[in-house]
Amino acid sequence: MPESPPVPLPHPAGPLAGYRVLDFADEKGQLCARLLGELGADVIKVEPPRDGDPTRQNGPFFRDEAAPNTSLYWWAMNAGKRSITCQLRLEAGRDLVRRLAAVSDIVIETGMPGTAAELGLDYPALSAVNPGVIVVSITNFGQAGPYKDMLATDIVGSAMGGHMYLNGDDERGPVRTLAPQAYAQANVQGAVGAMIALYARGVNDGGGQHVDVSMQEAVANALDNAQQTWDIRHINNRGPGTGRMVGGNPGPRYLYETADGWVTCLALGGLIGPSAGVAIDWLAATGEARDLDSLAWRTKLAALVPLEPKDRAYVEETLAAFCKTKPKESLVEQAQQRGFGWAPVFSPREVVESKHLKARDFWVRVRHEDIGESFIYPGPPFRLGLTPWAQRGRAPLVGEHNEQVYGELLGLDAAELRRLRMRMVV
Amino acid sequence: MSEGKVLKKPFAGIRVADFAWVGVGPTVSKYLADHGAEVIRIESSTYPEALRRVGPFVDDTPGMDNSGYYANFNSSKLGASVNLKHPRGPELVKRLLATCDVVTESFTPGTLERFGLGYETIRAIRPDVVMIAMPLYGQTGPWAGYSGYGHVLQAASGFNHLTGWEDGPPIGTGIAYTDFLVPHIAAVALIAALDHRRRTGQGQYIDFGQMEAAVHALGTAVLDWTANGHEQKRMGNRDPEAAPHGCYRCKDGRYLVIACFTEKHWEALKAALGRPEWCDMDRMRRRWQRLDEQKEIDRHLGYWIEDFTRMPPDSPFYTEEGVEAPPVRKFTTEEMMAHMQSFGVPCGIVQSAEDLQRDPQLAFRGHYWKLQHPVMGLRTYDGPSFRLSRTPAELTKAAPLLGEDNEYAWKTLAGLSDDEYTELLVEGAFE
Repeated sequence: MPESPPVPLPHPAGPLAGYRVLDFADEKGQLCARLLGELGADVIKVEPPRDGDPTRQNGPFFRDEAAPNTSLYWWAMNAGKRSITCQLRLEAGRDLVRRLAAVSDIVIETGMPGTAAELGLDYPALSAVNPGVIVVSITNFGQAGPYKDMLATDIVGSAMGGHMYLNGDDERGPVRTLAPQAYAQANVQGAVGAMIALYARGVNDGGGQHVDVSMQEAVANALDNAQQTWDIRHINNRGPGTGRMVGGNPGPRYLYETADGWVTCLALGGLIGPSAGVAIDWLAATGEARDLDSLAWRTKLAALVPLEPKDRAYVEETLAAFCKTKPKESLVEQAQQRGFGWAPVFSPREVVESKHLKARDFWVRVRHEDIGESFIYPGPPFRLGLTPWAQRGRAPLVGEHNEQVYGELLGLDAAELRRLRMRMVV
Repeated sequence: MSEGKVLKKPFAGIRVADFAWVGVGPTVSKYLADHGAEVIRIESSTYPEALRRVGPFVDDTPGMDNSGYYANFNSSKLGASVNLKHPRGPELVKRLLATCDVVTESFTPGTLERFGLGYETIRAIRPDVVMIAMPLYGQTGPWAGYSGYGHVLQAASGFNHLTGWEDGPPIGTGIAYTDFLVPHIAAVALIAALDHRRRTGQGQYIDFGQMEAAVHALGTAVLDWTANGHEQKRMGNRDPEAAPHGCYRCKDGRYLVIACFTEKHWEALKAALGRPEWCDMDRMRRRWQRLDEQKEIDRHLGYWIEDFTRMPPDSPFYTEEGVEAPPVRKFTTEEMMAHMQSFGVPCGIVQSAEDLQRDPQLAFRGHYWKLQHPVMGLRTYDGPSFRLSRTPAELTKAAPLLGEDNEYAWKTLAGLSDDEYTELLVEGAFE
């Protein structure tokens, strides 16, 4: 790799090469824009002048030192984008945005409903300068409706969308996932909306449209079968999370402690179901099947009829005792050899060290020439045979591409740019 | 480009042969179906789709065509069935695939190949086909042959480790989480490939490993390890960046979440609480101080919220406000949320599936669709989370019965004559 790779790395082979995306988004849309960039689109992150985007203040920070270019959140969500600065509170800034929108295909924004309209940068205004533009608005609850002005962060999205209710225990209540999943859902579902609008433009009249994405709805679409279970049985699926509840019926425990961590498995690891005999043999090989190694139990477990609670508890205890003394990865390997779909509980470190992902050459090393180091980033979320995904390099510095973008796309020369800078427009 | 002009649905004219099953695949093809594609689920009664065998079932009566779990992810689709183990099964499928633009599947790698239906074969029949294979772990690597479901993949891809109480086990999200995360990422790849095909005529193969897509939703957890050597771990409802950040019980037993990331949020919360003394203490002044005082803040907030919310009016414990003590304003949980929001505090109710059915915002947006199913009756389906202003989604029909559209698939599309079709039907080729 050259000493100073270009930022972003070019990606002409991507399926979206040739499209341009303007990214005004916060946590609800930055990953969405990044994914489009990794498919080849030219993604331009638009930030306020000086301090840059507010999410540059999101922790954690590289070496725990907070600075505009050390936010790991910023690195993760904005890798491979170009950055320009533009003051939307000034008419001159809004004018630059309209001119950029005229040469862009997709605009992603996450402002509270009405904000873009106040600035004269909403879909009607932008489509007036570019009828083909697609405006993706990702908001907490959507553009209109009784909750449209409600404030939300990730946990509020998870709560109002129904996800948090599905987990947690009676004593301590519902519990969330530390890595923000309401934001993740809004981003990836927003990206689907953007892609459908892009495809629709191609097969229709070349016209763009407005894509109105709701984080609450994105979460509500990620509830397993809770919606249907209420609709059909009037039962609310819910925690405590150690088991699997399907269709309102609490299932057996799916999480077992091992010598070095935890493993997960459905159907009592295979001990109930048509292949129960295989699982019993596995436990019996080390003399740990207890009473299950008997004709009565073998028949009962293979019969596909629900177990009595005390029988289920006995099987759970037997399996728990078996797992407790063995390392998790070898348990999973042995289970998979027997056709049982077990998986280990991996921490982020173990995910990064996973031999499977290493064998698939998943991880990408990204050069941060500005601090003289390179770091491991996640690799392809999908592998397109002909038009591949590509990591596009590190996240941009504040306004790193002002000359490039304003010069190439809008034809502004150095003098004009300097004037705009002095008026604090860029 | 007049607004009034009737536009083509985005995927009108695209035909999809959908071999993908359980959660991930059907959600991907549902996007295409709800936006105009002709999606044909290809199933078999000899090896039925797992979700058809899992409830909730209408009237608690298990049946292939009676599962709400299956139905929700298969709106707007057609259903065909074929027994690939029948001597003519693979050939029939090939005849059908010749008419399809997209093939989706989510079997363990090698399954379709065993029936002579690998990508190379399909491409020979249909050179511009876009095919996406979506098993848990992708087509290669030591785990490629591993089986499982989203409920265990959430563990392997890091979500369990990040979910639960600080001092408790890695309980995970309570659901088969990755099944409801990765299909959206797969759909992005698939539609990007379709757009490339639209412009160039070229099809392609997509190797989609669910675990690899899921890793992209881990937020900062990967970089925190690779750049800082710090391992993030579950911490209940706390957040390393915000205080207070938690979940508080209301008198009616429901929960309210509150998250204060900025000084503005904190000032708003103080105002909403009526500026009690504790929150103006010196050690509450800065965000980093409040992060250390979470326990204290949670104790106060917990009391305050429980105190100021009330039981539902029909509760036996309900007492009219102000009867015994000096009048105290008591809120329903909804009113409490509105009160906090009116001051600018990000907060929300932990809503159940039941609450969502009554949620005024979801109702306003028309999130849920009611579709009539011949066996299950009028049922609720999820619509997409986005509204496209000019080519909106339309859920055209309820989920297909197993093999409901066999005559269309095998006679009209695959070109079987009436006699051939009947003969094969009797032989069990469509089971």
